[in-house]
Amino acid sequence: MNCDWVQENIALYMYNELADDARHELEGHVERCSECAAELKAMRAFHGEMSDMPQLEVTPNLLASARIQLSEALENVQQRRGWRWALDPMALLRQMRFSPALAAVIFMVGFGGGIGTMYRMSASLHGGSLSVEQQQEASISGIRNIVQEPGSSHVRIDYERALPETVRGSVSDPQIQALLVMASRSAANSGLRMDSLALLRQKPDDPAVRESLVYSLRSDSNPGVRLKAEEALTPMVKQDIRVRNAMLESLLNDNNPGVRAGALKALETVRDDTGVRQALTQLAKEDPNEFIRQESARVLTQATGAE
Amino acid sequence: MVGQGPSRVNDAELIRAAQQGDHAAFEELVRQYDQPVLRLALHLTGSEHEAKDIYQEAFLKAYRNLGSFRFECSFYTWIYRIVSNLCMDYLRRKQVRKEDPSVRVSSEGEEFDLLEQLPDQRAGASPEQDLMRRELGKRIARALTKLTPRERMVFEMKHYQGLKLRTIGEALNTTEETAKNTLFRATQKLRAALADLK
Repeated sequence: MNCDWVQENIALYMYNELADDARHELEGHVERCSECAAELKAMRAFHGEMSDMPQLEVTPNLLASARIQLSEALENVQQRRGWRWALDPMALLRQMRFSPALAAVIFMVGFGGGIGTMYRMSASLHGGSLSVEQQQEASISGIRNIVQEPGSSHVRIDYERALPETVRGSVSDPQIQALLVMASRSAANSGLRMDSLALLRQKPDDPAVRESLVYSLRSDSNPGVRLKAEEALTPMVKQDIRVRNAMLESLLNDNNPGVRAGALKALETVRDDTGVRQALTQLAKEDPNEFIRQESARVLTQATGAE
Repeated sequence: MVGQGPSRVNDAELIRAAQQGDHAAFEELVRQYDQPVLRLALHLTGSEHEAKDIYQEAFLKAYRNLGSFRFECSFYTWIYRIVSNLCMDYLRRKQVRKEDPSVRVSSEGEEFDLLEQLPDQRAGASPEQDLMRRELGKRIARALTKLTPRERMVFEMKHYQGLKLRTIGEALNTTEETAKNTLFRATQKLRAALADLK
């Protein structure tokens, strides 16, 4: 055993990966060799520093939430492939592709998001393919390319524009519903998202609408919108496992106490469900919010009493 | 720290049942292994959101491919192989984007420093000690970005997850010897990076 061998294997020694005989020999060598002893000391210091590095740990809430999401995804794989398109906003856009008027209205309701029509205009001093009125009305969403045509004063400008359009119709109209669903998910203005949810809740049996409500409850950044979605979903907690899972997730993870309290109230009707009871047991024991702890304990007592 | 593979006999029964369509058996397998999987993904991504995505994708892959599981390795190694590949893909994508290792984007779209979010749980840590520890954490996070995805994975599995190099080799579809060499390179690079920063 020489110094090179020791230095190549000192990491394995630190991580208990050396065979007993090699370990013994390395320890003997280090006692006799000051250079290798210094190397071992430096390796120990490095190991200690790395162990001191703050690490994120899996909390019970994170684990519960990951399990709920996985269970839902597995259920989707197993049973209801028909629901999947509604979970995927791009799939909705692909449907929209076949309805240009509808796609154009998307801008009106504030989606932006890059659905533009590409126009190629050969502009010159004598005017282009768009009238002044049209240009004023249209929102130019981006210039893609400018090319000066050789030997002339003409330029070619590639740009995108969006023209505002309006659509009117009944809430039951599938086109209107599709727009409302998109507004509820992506509108930049939270008031608009709330308005669309208020209209959508009139059609809770439509799978796409329900999925949208679930999406808003899980993902909307505004607690007011999440509360609105929660309110609309509460009557469906009993019949729909996805709604139940979304409520459970909100109860465990939402950062707004009001949304959590609403989810707890909604889940009271399904307190005998094993998943709900597990979550309540955990919350009653260790949730930092006193109200949630007490309410979870109360609902659990009722569940036990009802058995 | 995870164990080196729970009961294989029990696993084999569960896998056979799951292969025949017993969903409860698959759920049981998930429950046996999902905590270390989530922990590995959480450490490597530094984001609960990304970790949950990787966790979900790993078990969905396992579920979809369970029919082709031939008992040539343990379920433990198999699921680690799946999650390791997903994590390495994630690290490769991140390397291309060259993100600050300690800066994350919250679900509200705001940037925050991951290391600021971690409480110092040691009793009696003074503000100065806390600050020094955070500084060290930042330096280490940056040093870790100097590693290749494979080196990062081997180092994480060895140092933070406590796996044996033999298991790591199996999970990464390589030999124990290669895992040893990778660990050696990883520690050398990290030590050099940390020395430069001192």
